[in-house]
Amino acid sequence: MTSGWRRLHPLSPVVRSGRHVFALFVLVVLLVVSRGQGSDVVVDALFLGVFVAANVVSWGVTRWKIDGGALRIETGLLRRQSRSFPLAQLQAVDVVQTGVARVVGLAELRLRMAASGAGEGRLACLTVARAEALRRELLAGPAVPAAYAPPAVPAAPFPGGAVATWVPAGRTLFEVDTSRLAAGILLTASGAGSLLVVGCLVGLAAGGVDRAVAGAAAAWAIGIALGVWRRFNGGYGTVVIDGPDGLRIESGMVQTTAETIRRGSVQAVRLVEPLAWRWLGWCRLEVDVAGPRQRKENRSEGGRLRAVMPVGTRADAGRLLAELVPYGPAPVHRPPPLARRKAPLRYRFSGWGGDARYVVASDGRVRRTTTWVPLAKVQSIRSVEGPWQRAMGLGTVLLDTAGRRVHAVLRDRSAAEVQALMATMPDLARSARAVSEKPTSSISGPGVGPP
Amino acid sequence: MEARTAPADALDWRRPSGRLRWVRRAQVGAAVVPLALLAVAMGAVQGSAAIGGAAAGGLLVAGLALERVLARRVGAWAYAERQDDLLVRRGVLFRRLSVVPYGRMQYIDVTAGPFERSFGLATVRMHTAAAASDARIPGLPADAATRLRDQLATLGEARSGGL
Repeated sequence: MTSGWRRLHPLSPVVRSGRHVFALFVLVVLLVVSRGQGSDVVVDALFLGVFVAANVVSWGVTRWKIDGGALRIETGLLRRQSRSFPLAQLQAVDVVQTGVARVVGLAELRLRMAASGAGEGRLACLTVARAEALRRELLAGPAVPAAYAPPAVPAAPFPGGAVATWVPAGRTLFEVDTSRLAAGILLTASGAGSLLVVGCLVGLAAGGVDRAVAGAAAAWAIGIALGVWRRFNGGYGTVVIDGPDGLRIESGMVQTTAETIRRGSVQAVRLVEPLAWRWLGWCRLEVDVAGPRQRKENRSEGGRLRAVMPVGTRADAGRLLAELVPYGPAPVHRPPPLARRKAPLRYRFSGWGGDARYVVASDGRVRRTTTWVPLAKVQSIRSVEGPWQRAMGLGTVLLDTAGRRVHAVLRDRSAAEVQALMATMPDLARSARAVSEKPTSSISGPGVGPP
Repeated sequence: MEARTAPADALDWRRPSGRLRWVRRAQVGAAVVPLALLAVAMGAVQGSAAIGGAAAGGLLVAGLALERVLARRVGAWAYAERQDDLLVRRGVLFRRLSVVPYGRMQYIDVTAGPFERSFGLATVRMHTAAAASDARIPGLPADAATRLRDQLATLGEARSGGL
């Protein structure tokens, strides 16, 4: 397994073209519907042929091997590209199967690396068995930092009120309820909005309009339906398993994704409670893993954080949190009452809490988000003091983690508290880092120097 | 060891070079003066020199006001090196303070735009894995900037850790 170059599966070009074939098919149907006559079918077929040929060439020039603790991928016809992905920096591995890939039994392997400039390692496609074996081999690298193994302390209540309980390894932690998932999507602002738009479009079509308008409306409706479908498909059948090589998240109806996140590589955990969900006691739980988030193929997933729990009850969230943030703190420190005048809506949800390992902060105007950040993962600490805040003697502290979006925002704290936090947080983060890095001195960080 | 827990105001804060004010003045001037001249010329061509002159005067006053704001911003900028992290302070209206541990630096940029270069200055910028930790120090003399970069790189290598 570790010597010699390997190729991708010969059927990969077919699978990789599959999505585009489908998109082209939809386009042709739409054109036929709106114009009444298929005109450019030959041109479309030509485009398709070029596309498939490109994929065949790409398959022909791509090879990979595992060599000296790194996965090496060589690709490119004119511009040869040889990329090496050191396994020590591996954060997560995704096994993705599109609908076409599932029919032929193939899967795509995606590697998520720590270094921000490293890009994404992709192997498309391998057989499912090969992909699973490779995933195990890749993740069998360096040991798990001891700091992330759960300590033996009694359970602490989490903000929802439920008591966190420890679940032994190798068990299913969460399974999504499909009807709740559907209801949850419709109950968010974007879900309800798209339902409204689709309703209006259907009404317009039923009202009897000419062909061109109907075609345009159909294109809109398809676009919106695709967006909702992506969200539904992304969350459908989500199962979270505490596996031997990390947390395993499986989901998807047509396109399935099986993601394995290394235990120590969760950068932040976020609990999101939109307005309507809060009434029902539902919430969403997301994790942030370091690495580039831009993906062309799967934009629905790339745009947001990976939802460990697309929709669930507070008890579900408590179980998962016990796994992801064992005995993490609750946001108990409220901002000073003065802050109510500055941000009346945010005041209800603001708060923070912390111990030697985690900092948690809750924030939000209409929907409440609660973010847990391991102190060992904090990249930088900032404080901001706006003009209104200064007039009221307030300030905000932010803890940044790797990535673009996630910060723990300790909003509207008193000036004295801000000063104390800025003085103590760097030391707390440093000692947390020292504890977490001691058992794995073999993990080398990204080097300092020009990119 | 005492530097570890030293409060932010008991530190040896260093400031960008005084020439940075001249860089900002030059930038404002390069934007405002041609516009004012254009206004005067347009006024002369259109036959209403008074309006053109007034517009030019307004532009110059706005430029002066901008210069004052930028000068205060330059004055607010400061950085301090502690044993394990770098502190950067900036902002007049929104006061910001960033603490970046040396071990978290991924790479360090030294850049100099045309204005900065002509005054012999450069900007040092620290990048961490978080896109938001925006720690940059403008207006350092070019040799001080490269020295700071090398120093930070050495400190970062000694303390670097995994993500």
